Amino acid sequence: MADTVTPQNSRSTAKRVMDNVGPPLVVLTVMLIVWEAACRWLDIAVYILPAPSDVFSAFAKHGGTLLYHTGITSMEAVSGFVIGSALGAILGTMFAYSRFLARGFLPFIIAANTIPVVAIAPIIIIWFGHGITSKIAVTAFLSFFPLALNMMKGLQSYDRVVMDVFYIAGASPMQRFFKMRLPNALPYVFVGLKLNVTFSVIGAIVAEFVQADRGLGFVIMTAYRSMGMPRLWAAMLLSALLGIVFFLIIALLERIFVPWHASMDERD
Amino acid sequence: MGSTVVMDDPAVQVEKLTLIYESNNQRVEALHNVDLTVDKGSFVSLIGPSGCGKSTLLRVLGDLLTPTSGQVLINRKTPREERLERRIGFVFQEPALLEWRSILANVMLPLELRGTPREERETRAHELMKIVGLTGFENAYPRQLSGGMRQRAAIARALSTRPDILLMDEPFGALDQITRDRLNMELLQIHEVTGITVVLVTHSIREAVLLSDRIMVMSPRPGRISRIITNDTPRPRTLESRNSEAFDALVREGNRELEKGCADG
Repeated sequence: MADTVTPQNSRSTAKRVMDNVGPPLVVLTVMLIVWEAACRWLDIAVYILPAPSDVFSAFAKHGGTLLYHTGITSMEAVSGFVIGSALGAILGTMFAYSRFLARGFLPFIIAANTIPVVAIAPIIIIWFGHGITSKIAVTAFLSFFPLALNMMKGLQSYDRVVMDVFYIAGASPMQRFFKMRLPNALPYVFVGLKLNVTFSVIGAIVAEFVQADRGLGFVIMTAYRSMGMPRLWAAMLLSALLGIVFFLIIALLERIFVPWHASMDERD
Repeated sequence: MGSTVVMDDPAVQVEKLTLIYESNNQRVEALHNVDLTVDKGSFVSLIGPSGCGKSTLLRVLGDLLTPTSGQVLINRKTPREERLERRIGFVFQEPALLEWRSILANVMLPLELRGTPREERETRAHELMKIVGLTGFENAYPRQLSGGMRQRAAIARALSTRPDILLMDEPFGALDQITRDRLNMELLQIHEVTGITVVLVTHSIREAVLLSDRIMVMSPRPGRISRIITNDTPRPRTLESRNSEAFDALVREGNRELEKGCADG
């Protein structure tokens, strides 16, 4: 029995991957062909819509520098994400344990969260200087709220009866936290982390818009000023790719750490 | 065997227990002057309409609630001392398993929290899985199991620290009749084999009569024990025990008392 089940399973896994990856690949290919054809036959100006081939040649020509700037932006995004998420996790935990702190701080945190990042970025850059530190600070500011709120919600959402089970078993507060409330909060934590990681790329690029001499935001601004549209498109695609890759890494971690959660079940 | 009566050394001794709580600025007397004695190794059921305080009484025994006045002793110690020595097993209406842990790891949880060495707690958990009929499901996760199997795991978990007393709060209330019957038989067998004292809260008079040595019928407003029914029909009992004249008589007696309690309220 077991011998016949395994190959069937792996075949269906391959099929599932094809089901998920196949359709978007077909759509992408068709889109690229239509886009390229439209640019050539309708004679669209490059500054309005560069053809895919223009963007690819921009990649080829500026490959090295684009990679360098992508590296800078990644570094800012990842650092800001880690710092922001760590602060968010700590604050969320404090809020989950102290009603006073939660009630006292949450109104201000929610208010701060509504400030557009473009409005606060110049202030943060004045505080933290013109280097990379200020970009990290803007990113951390942006990728902080989602985890703080989700951490608090996750830690508070435990089952009261499970708490009784731990009480009867004479569990210490530490045991209650690490063996019950934290594992129980993980699905919420990953909701927060997924939001954070998306915001972190946005935060880094917006900060570079305001002031920078490197990074993808800087490339986009300089390309815009010199009308180097294929280069701008290349930088835009790279920043999108960055966001997707970061998101996928978090999604993969979620699969590893929260395989038990119902949301991980295969749908249809 | 399971109902050895040792009068001077009861497992549970409750005297003049009163529990009052405030709800919407109203004083509610959940329990009023309750006296209760449970002999070591016996099986006692608490039954009554909702609001009669049967769950409240059970939670006081498990140190989950603190009484307003009166004395509660479990094996001559306070519920808190007994709980902290892990001598109380508690089964709730819901299995309340940790869904990120395998069934085996769930059963081991109280031993893990107490700091029992890994090897010892695994041996004990395997032993318990066998007792509750879950062998083969060690590595399954709770949501892969049926409601009856999850409740079996919860019973195994409650027994893991070898408690002196097993407190059960409507543990089979959410199960279908067939599963309920089967778990009743398994509970009788666990009681028979381990000689553990059991206090069971239930809504079903038939379940109470089938399992118990004594049935405490409770009535509400204020919560109190209004009648004690003794069932000394022989053990071991089976589902067929329900077909006897004596069983029917006890069920009738219980129902009469329950109806009276409802009419009072």
